[in-house]
Amino acid sequence: MHTVVLMLEGTQVTLQIFFITLIFSLPLGLLAAFGRLSSLKLVSRFMEFYIWLMRGTPLMLQLLFVYFALPMVGIMLPDLVAALLAFTLNYAAYFAEIFRAGIQSISKGQYEAAKTLGMTHKQTMRRIIIPQMIRYVLPPVSNETINLVKDTSLIYILAMNDLLRVARTIVQREFDMTPFVVAAVFYLIMTAVLTWGFKKLEAYYGKYDK
Amino acid sequence: MENMTNNDVMLRLTQIHKRFGDLEILKGINLELKKGEVMAVIGPSGSGKSTLLRCINRLEEIDSGKIEIKGRVLAQNNGENVAEYVSEKESRNILSCTGMVFQQFNLFPHMTVMQNLLEAPVQVQKRKKEEVIPEAEALLKKVGLLEKKDWYPSRLSGGQQQRVAIARALCMKPDIMLFDEPTSALDPELTGEVLKTMRELADEHMTMMVVTHEMNFAREAASHVVFVEGGVIVEEGPARQVIDNPQEERTQAFLKNML
Repeated sequence: MHTVVLMLEGTQVTLQIFFITLIFSLPLGLLAAFGRLSSLKLVSRFMEFYIWLMRGTPLMLQLLFVYFALPMVGIMLPDLVAALLAFTLNYAAYFAEIFRAGIQSISKGQYEAAKTLGMTHKQTMRRIIIPQMIRYVLPPVSNETINLVKDTSLIYILAMNDLLRVARTIVQREFDMTPFVVAAVFYLIMTAVLTWGFKKLEAYYGKYDK
Repeated sequence: MENMTNNDVMLRLTQIHKRFGDLEILKGINLELKKGEVMAVIGPSGSGKSTLLRCINRLEEIDSGKIEIKGRVLAQNNGENVAEYVSEKESRNILSCTGMVFQQFNLFPHMTVMQNLLEAPVQVQKRKKEEVIPEAEALLKKVGLLEKKDWYPSRLSGGQQQRVAIARALCMKPDIMLFDEPTSALDPELTGEVLKTMRELADEHMTMMVVTHEMNFAREAASHVVFVEGGVIVEEGPARQVIDNPQEERTQAFLKNML
């Protein structure tokens, strides 16, 4: 029983990282996507570089960098904030590419129709392009989100007690493999809830399709 | 007297030049559209007629020339003979009296028919929804689609979608309607219903400019026909005169192929 309580506490840490990362990386990813599509060369180049950097290096390395390298230049962050910073920057880059593809999949005719109706670029984005984009990006976003649940386990290297680290500690202490099985079940429950949630979202945003 | 006729000119194009890269699409177009006039623009594909229409509402920008809409200058040449546009905001303001219907309909697929009609009046003109709904319903009734008001566009036929697109443009109460090959993407049996809607609009003296391949429509519904080929206006005049009795050889050759 004590094991399960400990593991639920670990799940709390996992969920905390998961939700906070999601809350920050989704809007940041959208902003980065707009930056990437910006007609200002400097902005789009910078975003391209940022996305390349984040996708081109292991998330583990990014975590270690934020945790160990930043303090060397005088930036001291609490453990949790350091982890969240690395996760958010990494996931925002992936979301940015998904959103960019989504925005680009909307036909030119939609922009033109909005323009001839007198809508500003901002109105067109907010009312016409983004709502349609959401539908296209839901499946890949769902994918990334499920990845994030599992990637949260990487924070064990920052000595934070997430679900998997708690499980491993118990296993090593008690020579009992059950915590691994319990951890697997916990992860599966979390991803099942997400899968169900995204299915509902897809149905909602797909209602205008035949 | 001079002033009065000036007020009647809804659209005036002067020496419009437009190029895409090395290719000059419009080579000095002059054109005038008067209030209540229905102008059909005909010509072979690639002649520049769609580009001409799209230049009017700034979907494309001209390289040189002058565009005036209801007496207000949208673009005109600077000292170096290069067209300069007014600001985005001013341009939106000037173009607010124009509406456009596209070949591909371009309805907003995530909105119902009614939401498509309400979107611009509510978001752009900041009108109250309750106030626009009766007008939108009247327009849908006019195009014969009131009972489809809560449907999403994907469930409508092409002809129905195009009629919604016309109603959506009309919901902004434009003074000039631009049609860019409105029936070209439709199955032949569906063009009739769209042309009928356009004919009714013409009968109500809406000022219209229609790029079309429908010679019968041009002949019967248009007051004026412009034949464009190779980026220039080859011939223009009263609809029946141009279509039944073209003067230019190139117009004759084109019409012979079309009819």
